Amino acid sequence: MVEVGPTTITQDRLKPGGKTFSIAVGVGVVGLLLTAVGYAVGGADRPSILAGYLVAFAYWLGIAIAASIWNAIFHAAAARWMTVFRRVFESMGAAIPIFILLFLPIALGMPVLFPWVNPSNRMSHEQLHLLQHKALWLNVPGFLLRAAVYFAIWVVVNQLLRGWSLRQDREGGLEPTRRMRRYGSGALPFLGLSITFAAFDWLMSVDPFWFSTIFGAYYFTGSFLSCIALLTVITVLTRHEQRLFGGLVTRHHTHNLGKLMLAFTAFWTYIAFSQFMLIWIANIPEEASWYVVRMKGGWQSVGIFLIVTHFIIPFFTLLSRGLKFNPRGLAFVAVWILVVHWVDLNWLVFPALHPEGFYFHWTAITSMLGVGGFAIAFARWRAAGHFTLPVKDPYLADSLRYQQA
Amino acid sequence: MEHAAEHHGHAAPVGKTYVLARFETGEALVDACYKVREKGFESIDTHSPYPLHGGDEALGLGRSRVPRIALAGGLAGMFGGYLMMVYMNAWNWPINVGGRPPHAPPSFIPITFETTVLLCSLSIFFGLLVLMRLPQPYHAAFELEQFRSAVNDGFWLSVALPPGSDGKDAAALASQLGAKEVSTVKESVE
Repeated sequence: MVEVGPTTITQDRLKPGGKTFSIAVGVGVVGLLLTAVGYAVGGADRPSILAGYLVAFAYWLGIAIAASIWNAIFHAAAARWMTVFRRVFESMGAAIPIFILLFLPIALGMPVLFPWVNPSNRMSHEQLHLLQHKALWLNVPGFLLRAAVYFAIWVVVNQLLRGWSLRQDREGGLEPTRRMRRYGSGALPFLGLSITFAAFDWLMSVDPFWFSTIFGAYYFTGSFLSCIALLTVITVLTRHEQRLFGGLVTRHHTHNLGKLMLAFTAFWTYIAFSQFMLIWIANIPEEASWYVVRMKGGWQSVGIFLIVTHFIIPFFTLLSRGLKFNPRGLAFVAVWILVVHWVDLNWLVFPALHPEGFYFHWTAITSMLGVGGFAIAFARWRAAGHFTLPVKDPYLADSLRYQQA
Repeated sequence: MEHAAEHHGHAAPVGKTYVLARFETGEALVDACYKVREKGFESIDTHSPYPLHGGDEALGLGRSRVPRIALAGGLAGMFGGYLMMVYMNAWNWPINVGGRPPHAPPSFIPITFETTVLLCSLSIFFGLLVLMRLPQPYHAAFELEQFRSAVNDGFWLSVALPPGSDGKDAAALASQLGAKEVSTVKESVE
């Protein structure tokens, strides 16, 4: 029983273990084991198998970072309506430490994954010269050091914001709110820059000859969108749990999630098109090569598939107000977005390894399940024993009776 | 006599009468709207310095027509902008720009986007003016000097009275619901 403003709500602490945790651990273990087996017998496919793992890693980590960024943005904006969702953002962000462990295959597999680690003699003289020029940034110690810095930022930010939030659960008072607002605002530049450079390091450098300054924003928007989509799925799944946050979420809250998905679908398209249009119109070989590969054969089909499924369909369905008020319909679109975001990340990485045409290896799916399973299990484990919403937040009462203007 | 009768036949314009009630907070105003409607007063409105959360619902307003107007404006801007460029660049005056085709969709998209947003927002702006019957240089509420606080810190409820009502029931109800000041104003008819 918790007093929230004039009313009283009854909330349970999340029990340890549970079905979600067991399933996630099982899927995680099986997924990563199968991926490892696939890699062991992979032979010439090994770089692609590792690339599939990289995509899965970037996918789930991106969502966890995006959750921290959402949380920080809401603190910076002093937003009240989302207080009911805040613990979910904090719990998603709490998955970040497990990715330090999951980063090991990437760190160990660098020579297989990134062509700039050991420039091969099949590269042209110009390409070798270009890599030499970029070696100041693209070198192994620098790569690992930067990864350590990124992880340090993400872990510290999440630890601070989540720590003060949990402390408020125990002690109440306004000091945690003051702290979270300060740290949230202060963390934003660090979060924004670190996710941008992480995208350069981990995803863009798979093709070390190409560069795009907007690439970080591209990865960031997709992750941002997927984070809200995942939150929507979780919310809809728990909406009948009267003693968890989902039971307190109203149609006005989920309507807002739909609006945010609409906005970030449009923003993803804006960023994706900005990158394409500037490169297309300038038509400079060093920039255009990336799209040349992606505008023929199977990769072109994937690109057109993305325009239709990542923009046209979600955008025009989410325009509907009726859909945004319909929890099941909204959850369907959210799952849709989560799937096409994965296709999108594959489309970013794989053409660099297979310029000759479409390629798919089954370990891409097992990697997704493996990394996702571990990330969800870890987040669920850390969330256990806590309330699923910040029960003593001074703005919780405002959030619970939130209605739109 | 004839003159007077004719005047009478026109049913001399009768100004509308409103009960205006000021509430301390937006929440109190929204709550009051529900209660006032329960008592059968249908013609009510709110006047507040900023949009009230839940205000639409409290007033029992249906869905706004603005989204449709916006969609129509946006689509007109989208097709209008794109077709304008196709006409100019590909048909009326084709120019070879760096070897790109005269009809080059990627380079048309930014302007299409801009014309979509432009016509969409203009249609919202003018559509709203029409729907709200603005500009409205005179309204009965302006008869009350204190009503000026509606743009500052006053949350006002207005109840348009049916003909023949003196508004005592509405005024009493508003006071009972916690209104800080209640007045009855009459439209001046010149």
